[in-house]
Amino acid sequence: MNKEPLLRMTGITKHFPGVQALSNVDFEIYPGEILGFLGENGAGKSTLIKILSGIHAQDQGTIWLNGQEIHPRSPHDAQNLGISTIHQELALAPNLTVAENIFLNREPRLALGRVDFARMNRAAEELLHDLGTDIPGNKRISHLTVAAQQMVEIAKAVSHSANLILMDEPTSALSAREVDALFALMRRLKERGVGVVFISHRLDEVRQIVDRVIVMRDGQRVGSLPIAEASEEQIIRMMVGRNVTVAAKADAAVGEPVLEVRNLSGYNGVEQVDLTVRKGEIVGISGLVGAGRTELVRLICGVDRLRTGEVRIDGKPVKIQSPADAVAHGIGWVPEDRKLHGLILGMSVQENSSMAILPRLSNWLAMIRPQKERAIAEHYVKALDIVTPSVSQTVRNLSGGNQQKVVLAKWLSSTPQLLIVDEPTRGIDVGAKSEIHRLLAELAQQGIAILMISSELPEILAMSDRIVVMCQGRVTGEFTHASATEEKILTAATQFLTIANSPN
Amino acid sequence: MNEVASKSTAAARSSAQIRMDSLRNLLKVSEFVIFIVVIVLLIGGALINPRIMGVENLKIITRDTAILAIAAIGVAFPIITAGIDLSIGSIVGLGGVLSAFFIMNWGMPIFPSILLALLVGVVIGWIHGLFVTRLNMHGFLITLVTLGVARGGILVITNGIPITGLPDEYTYLGQGYLFGLIPIPVILCVVVAIFAHYLLRYTYIGRQIYAVGGNIEATRLSGVNINARVVLCYVISVVCASLVGVIQAGRLSLGHPATGEGFELLAITACILGGLSLMGGQGTVPGILVGSALIGVLQNLMVMLNINPYWHKIVIGLVLLAAITFDYSRRKQN
Repeated sequence: MNKEPLLRMTGITKHFPGVQALSNVDFEIYPGEILGFLGENGAGKSTLIKILSGIHAQDQGTIWLNGQEIHPRSPHDAQNLGISTIHQELALAPNLTVAENIFLNREPRLALGRVDFARMNRAAEELLHDLGTDIPGNKRISHLTVAAQQMVEIAKAVSHSANLILMDEPTSALSAREVDALFALMRRLKERGVGVVFISHRLDEVRQIVDRVIVMRDGQRVGSLPIAEASEEQIIRMMVGRNVTVAAKADAAVGEPVLEVRNLSGYNGVEQVDLTVRKGEIVGISGLVGAGRTELVRLICGVDRLRTGEVRIDGKPVKIQSPADAVAHGIGWVPEDRKLHGLILGMSVQENSSMAILPRLSNWLAMIRPQKERAIAEHYVKALDIVTPSVSQTVRNLSGGNQQKVVLAKWLSSTPQLLIVDEPTRGIDVGAKSEIHRLLAELAQQGIAILMISSELPEILAMSDRIVVMCQGRVTGEFTHASATEEKILTAATQFLTIANSPN
Repeated sequence: MNEVASKSTAAARSSAQIRMDSLRNLLKVSEFVIFIVVIVLLIGGALINPRIMGVENLKIITRDTAILAIAAIGVAFPIITAGIDLSIGSIVGLGGVLSAFFIMNWGMPIFPSILLALLVGVVIGWIHGLFVTRLNMHGFLITLVTLGVARGGILVITNGIPITGLPDEYTYLGQGYLFGLIPIPVILCVVVAIFAHYLLRYTYIGRQIYAVGGNIEATRLSGVNINARVVLCYVISVVCASLVGVIQAGRLSLGHPATGEGFELLAITACILGGLSLMGGQGTVPGILVGSALIGVLQNLMVMLNINPYWHKIVIGLVLLAAITFDYSRRKQN
């Protein structure tokens, strides 16, 4: 490339309390380039993106945009400079509509400053249509699925007609069809000379779409390669510093049923679900986003109310009416959204790890035994390889993958007989991902029954002894490890969708 | 791939930096800063009026501080859960009037009458907690209702006339001294503070209360009985305020219907000064004690330096403004 870079960053350094997030990082992207920005969790990718989008200021280093030095001091600033960002955590106003979010602060006006809602909704729908979705412009964000919200976020960034778009894991909540639409859009942006920075942990996606990769490790830039010259193994080696193989679950001795669900229906869309999970077994639940998988878990764990049906634990019928009941019956649940439902961000690794077992850790005066609590936290920091300066580090300061491990630590310390994991590797890097897979396999081997929800087919196919497919709140297919294929799962997952909701 | 620099130097640098950070953090701890301010105020005031540091005045300061601190410690519990209790001003009045009423009008013995007044507090706090947990109502609303209703209840009970003639054993609670030196309210405050500090700092119940303030949904999904914790917090708040009411009635030797008016402002200000956040999830009992001391000293200085009493509330309000501004600007930096 002998063109001038669209954006160049040199010597970027950033330090957070207890963490050197970035040290002396160089970064460049050319006009019309789709750049894959890779690295494990905590490698510093998100920090760099946040500096670029004006959320953090670098301690040292310079940023040039089109040859001019810039200092984005706020997201608004960055936007005015032509830099749009889609953050890993969605940043939409839940009580506003789709169109109101997309055109926030630049609504089309009528006389007397009234908002032209009709025009705004139409414009929003056109943008979303370009992305291959038909989300109504007047729908409230809080009524949308996570995937649909993600599409709105993308539409919003695109609508700013920026010449640099930063996408921090835009695909982690999207279905295959939505990912294809997003890629088509990225190619169109590329033709217009827009630079796109694409962060993803799915290497197959990266290979499909990017021109070049920059790889980060431990807050430093490890190197840069044109994608044509990079093999997957090479990229992984650069990211992790070692070779990683995709873990598959070893056969464990499958025992008695731990969880039996019969004819379970709720008011949240779940209809007549039957499900059995045995000791030592990993049961994968597959399905599209919105298929009712998380809702099923919410019924089992007593978060949402049952309408009909029966839940048995260890063969005995139980009434689980609150999460506390679920914990008492030995159910641990690693939820999909760790920040909203999994962690208390302002508390330490230790305090989060012990949250589900506090009464057990306490003496008769209700006093928590500090050494015992610390020992448990330290055990899991070691066992799960959580990267943190100490167990008293605030969880907010950890990277996404390490936060996820803390949630896992919380539930493992409660020694559950049934562990429910909802998208356990969402937004997690390759290294941590295979670690979590290995860990789940080990737990199954120790006799824990595992129910795993995942939108990633390779994960479901590799890890599950049995695969249950859901669509619109119902079970539409069940396969053994040997008989399952991607095609069979997808057919079952879209069973009710073919007529009602086909593309276009 | 040769862009990876030497790791060991980076590690050494960061550990040195951490040590610097911890030094800086001590100065960032607002409790510590406020403790210094309290000392400076006392010394500065004594330079103008030496009687401020005299034993008699120090007795007054510690007694007033202790009374305020009991209410502040109580209201801290709902604040830590990211709620609030605005009712405590009226509850202070109600606690004093009720116990005085039980003694003077029903002829009850002193100790049972105080217990009964505190029991009424338990019931009121429990009702607050039920509204907050069952209806997801913000504490602000239901306690605002009580702020009005309880003050009205006082007027109904007393007909607007103070209840006088309280026995010496009762007034001893507000006016007495241990060894002629330590005001009885200070003793009571120490007991309440030790209980609250133990509960919050060392027990799993306290940990769960902080967790509720940090992320109530994650706490619930961890199997914590959040409803029980929240109800407990609102009960503690009202009971502490009722106890303050009893002490105040003892100090004044009468159950006065206007007692405690505006006390919620003082108690909440003491909490914020002491490092609590209205967003919940943080704050400590030692912090609250220091915050209460600042207000106690300020109020005393204003009297001892002959500042027009009409200005006192303005000063306290501005101190609250300063504390909140400090809290928010610090959070913005993070």
